[in-house]
Amino acid sequence: MLARSAQGVYWMARYLARAGYLSRLLELQVQFLVDRSVEEIHFGWKRIYRCMKRLPPPGEQFLPEADEFALADSFTLADDLTFERSNPDSVWSAIASGRENARQMRHCISGEMWTCLNAAWLRIRDLEAVDIWRTPEVFYAQTRSEIHNFVGVADATMYRGAAWRFMRLGRAIERAQLAVSLLLAQIDLSRQTERRTLGWASMLRTHHALEAYGRVHGIEMKPDRVLDLLVADPSLPGSVLATVQAAATELGGLGGGPGVEADAAARRLAGRAEALILYDWPEASAPEELLERVDRSARDLHDAVLGAFVDYAIEDSPLR
Amino acid sequence: MDFSLYDFDPAIYDEMFVGEGEPRDHCRAVVEALRELPDDDLNTIQERVTRSFSQEGITFTVYGDEEAEERIIPIDCVPRLLALAEWRELEAGLVQRIRTLNLFLADVYGDCRVVRDGVIPADVILGCPQYRLAMRGVNVPNDVWVTICGTDIVRTHEGFMVLEDNLRVPSGVSYMIANRKAVKAGLRRLYRRSRVQDVEQYGSLLRQTLCELSPGGRPDPCLALLTPGTYNSAFYEHMFLAHEIGAELVEGQDLLVNDGFVYMRTTSGLRRVDVIYRRVDDDFLDPLVFREDSLLGVPGLMNAFKRGNVALANAPGTGVADDKSVYAYVPDMVRYYLGEEPLLQNVDTRLCRRPEDLEYTLDNLERLVVKRVGESGGYGMLVGPHSTPEERDEYAKTLRADPADFISQPTLALSRSPCLIDGHAEPRHVDLRPFVLTGNETRIVPGAFCRVALRRGSLVVNSSQGGGGKDLWVVDL
Repeated sequence: MLARSAQGVYWMARYLARAGYLSRLLELQVQFLVDRSVEEIHFGWKRIYRCMKRLPPPGEQFLPEADEFALADSFTLADDLTFERSNPDSVWSAIASGRENARQMRHCISGEMWTCLNAAWLRIRDLEAVDIWRTPEVFYAQTRSEIHNFVGVADATMYRGAAWRFMRLGRAIERAQLAVSLLLAQIDLSRQTERRTLGWASMLRTHHALEAYGRVHGIEMKPDRVLDLLVADPSLPGSVLATVQAAATELGGLGGGPGVEADAAARRLAGRAEALILYDWPEASAPEELLERVDRSARDLHDAVLGAFVDYAIEDSPLR
Repeated sequence: MDFSLYDFDPAIYDEMFVGEGEPRDHCRAVVEALRELPDDDLNTIQERVTRSFSQEGITFTVYGDEEAEERIIPIDCVPRLLALAEWRELEAGLVQRIRTLNLFLADVYGDCRVVRDGVIPADVILGCPQYRLAMRGVNVPNDVWVTICGTDIVRTHEGFMVLEDNLRVPSGVSYMIANRKAVKAGLRRLYRRSRVQDVEQYGSLLRQTLCELSPGGRPDPCLALLTPGTYNSAFYEHMFLAHEIGAELVEGQDLLVNDGFVYMRTTSGLRRVDVIYRRVDDDFLDPLVFREDSLLGVPGLMNAFKRGNVALANAPGTGVADDKSVYAYVPDMVRYYLGEEPLLQNVDTRLCRRPEDLEYTLDNLERLVVKRVGESGGYGMLVGPHSTPEERDEYAKTLRADPADFISQPTLALSRSPCLIDGHAEPRHVDLRPFVLTGNETRIVPGAFCRVALRRGSLVVNSSQGGGGKDLWVVDL
């Protein structure tokens, strides 16, 4: 497969995974605006911004502890995270970038995937925050659903070649990074509040894990159990372990890249992240330290993958 | 569809009607069916056709000062019809013409007999900016210089005429296929009844043609389509064709030349490329030979090509044969190389480099179309009858300053075909661009990108100038 095409498909998947994840976070967050306390609302916004490694727009404060301020701020914050063109990680920008990569790599994906994604793009292309603000949760749910559809259509129609592997690799790496990032934000923020359980239920809902938690642990919400499920349960599709294992699987299916050193590093990093969760996590005394190591591995994995398959030195490459 | 207000003009050839309300024989069934179709249905079909282009992202990109805008070529859902017999006649003319042009190119980059025998003046060829000295003495695979040609054909009461031979990187074929898909879906029963010739095999014919150029006959050659990139207005077509022919869609940065062979960067290392369908102009192909500031090309590509290690379609230097001045000599070329009379006529063309032609052009500006030799896409052109005296005066000044850069032609009454305008039928001027493929043999799918000047009275069909598209049905009725 052409190296630049692989890169395009990889980034397409990363951007769309980002848009889907952020849509889910915002879908839950705007639901909170209806009936949750100001503290919870502020907690939610801080967690999202931490997860996305972004500062809120200048001038917006989290401080006013009154409902009307919370609601006014929420509109601005949701706009910043959803439609702000200058924010490369906003839902709009991430879908635009994902769709642009897909447009350039249309010959590498199925026609059905393209049509599905393009339809989603045409729907949101001209929208602004005021257009969705009467029922914002409907907008976010629909956007998330469109990205789920895209993934499903890909699953049903895409040829299982190298492009498929790179797409899945991009999605897995993005989801691993976002999940770890959100968990780190949750751990840190919950330490700063007296309500120790604050935010943990929504962590489960973000990862579609509420039902799974109930089945495994019952109805009592215990932060360490939630954390354990979201990090180390291989049966939960959005758990850190599941995403890291998915990355390792796709990497294994690709065969060796021409960038030999980077290729070895990529396989080592994927294996290390998986091993950290499988073997070190159960006995970890400081979960955030271990999660930070997983986070570093996932970020280095991205560089190693590109070094192995895309940005390799030509002198090292075999001629075919 | 309401034809009652259709403005039939006997002075202009109408593709569908031979007289007021009187369809041509091969159009009769389609006109009857269209007449019975309620306006609302046709409007719905028109909307669906437009929407399908938007949903499938069949767009071209226009770059403004700040942001890019993806636009759709407006497509009229009423097909233009051509009888199979008419098509056969046109096809024979196209085959004859492309044979001639390939012989001409081999000659002008070889012995130049055509000049020595006095058929074409040397300065017309050597003065052409598209004449590439780098191609002198180069052997191209199978003597095929022009693998893909998109010839612009117009029709008047006098018959078909060639308006332009596009021999460099002709575009539009993706619209031929996309228009067909969209219009066929809208007019299903009519399409089935009309026994329309298929165009969907274009991709496989193109692949077969390109494979025949494989250096040394290497089996199962690796094909690549070289695009200037996503910013090119025809990028959709590049992507579409790469997919159709099973080629990698590459940019210059993806290719490199090593030891006289071309390779592309893949995820498993460097892979040799055998045939490149290039959609990059000559100027930008290889910075070591052509424009040295080109970032779109591949250093060393021409060396690999000259050594016969990679085939380029079309070969560099073909632009000399579709130069607007050289065009005037194509009928003479047919007689010279083939000893035959041309089956397809040229538009009567005056070369302003000749003093008598310049004088004639200046005296008749209000009746002529004047074009710059080096321009395309409808730019730099004066359409005399649609110009103001001030515009003509201004144009005459530039013409006098550099006469060799201009040609003039009579303003043709291009044929018209009914279009759905504001819910009813109105005639609009049309041309057509069939695509001619040449490998071991010449292949033409029975269809074309039919361009239409959607503005009332306009003769300019270029999409950059308000033109649109139509499906062309070659019908066996």
